[in-house]
Amino acid sequence: MSELRILGEQAPAEHPHCWRCGNGPAHEHAEPVSLFCQFCNTLQPPVADYFSFFDLPRHLSLDLAELQRKFYALSRLLHPDRYTRAAERERRYSLEATAILNDGYRVLRDPVERAEYVLREAGFDIGEQRTRDVPPELLEEVFEFNMALDELKSGDETVVPQLMESRASFVSLLAEIDRELDAHFAEHDGAAGREARRAVLERIRKILNRRRYIRNLVAEVDRQLTAQGA
Amino acid sequence: MAYSDKVLDHYNNPRNVGSLDKKDPAVGTGLVGAPECGDVMKLQIKVNPETGVIEDAKFKTFGCGSAIASSSLATEMLKGKTVEEAMAIKNTELVNELSLPPVKIHCSVLAEDAIKAAIQDYKAKAPAPAPAATA
Repeated sequence: MSELRILGEQAPAEHPHCWRCGNGPAHEHAEPVSLFCQFCNTLQPPVADYFSFFDLPRHLSLDLAELQRKFYALSRLLHPDRYTRAAERERRYSLEATAILNDGYRVLRDPVERAEYVLREAGFDIGEQRTRDVPPELLEEVFEFNMALDELKSGDETVVPQLMESRASFVSLLAEIDRELDAHFAEHDGAAGREARRAVLERIRKILNRRRYIRNLVAEVDRQLTAQGA
Repeated sequence: MAYSDKVLDHYNNPRNVGSLDKKDPAVGTGLVGAPECGDVMKLQIKVNPETGVIEDAKFKTFGCGSAIASSSLATEMLKGKTVEEAMAIKNTELVNELSLPPVKIHCSVLAEDAIKAAIQDYKAKAPAPAPAATA
């Protein structure tokens, strides 16, 4: 666990010397990219960590405009078309880097995926969950909701208004959860020290579980209402 | 994924589906859910207040075949047991009986949680022997 944490927190230092010119450290200056050797400007093996790749602080609240700007700039610099006549090794790095770039952009621009990524990299298990993550008062509603869904499936359309009402309450709950997440993101980014950040991450993990649960419910009612043509 | 015959049997012929009156002081209700798969499970027991024996058990589960089978089997196991015996039921018994694969073990955990929640609810109702309530 502690190794994972350290991996997630550290700046990449696996390839301090340029593979081509041998000078090192190859990455030292930040902008525009530490992906290139600072001496000969050759593409280096890309780092897999999205935040390091984009040279962004490991924050849960990100400036999306800045992220997009970096994405476009890096896309141009790393595009495999630019490396058609480059060394085989550099061509390969450009492909790898482009893949990380695209995956990283997709993950980082979405607040929930970004948070899940940070959680995973920090060693949190965000898969299977236990019951205590769902508040009991919500369980009751979820159960009634499922009963109504069952009736809808067996052709009873009188439950549609009840389902729509539940859907609306779930959707407003989602909005509430997103506000809660934003507040936690800010708290995480401002927290001093690894332990403090970890404590916030633990709370974020629980909020994300609730969010996923509720989103599943909304998706389910939409699927059923569509299937019934209601 | 292939379900075992026992899972299929409970899935196709679930035992003890339904509900008991949750206001009844002899009834304990456990309602649990698993966020990841969206499973929700309600399990109820009706306890004889004099003997402490579970006389009836009902469930209703929204979830996958393994979750339904786990709760169905759980209600079967509960009947005739005392509350204390029921408290000792472990999810591994459900896993073995149903031959659940590792990815479905959480379904049996959910059923164990439901049993515990139902018992807790029953105990919280403080099953004091009904006093002479005649006016």
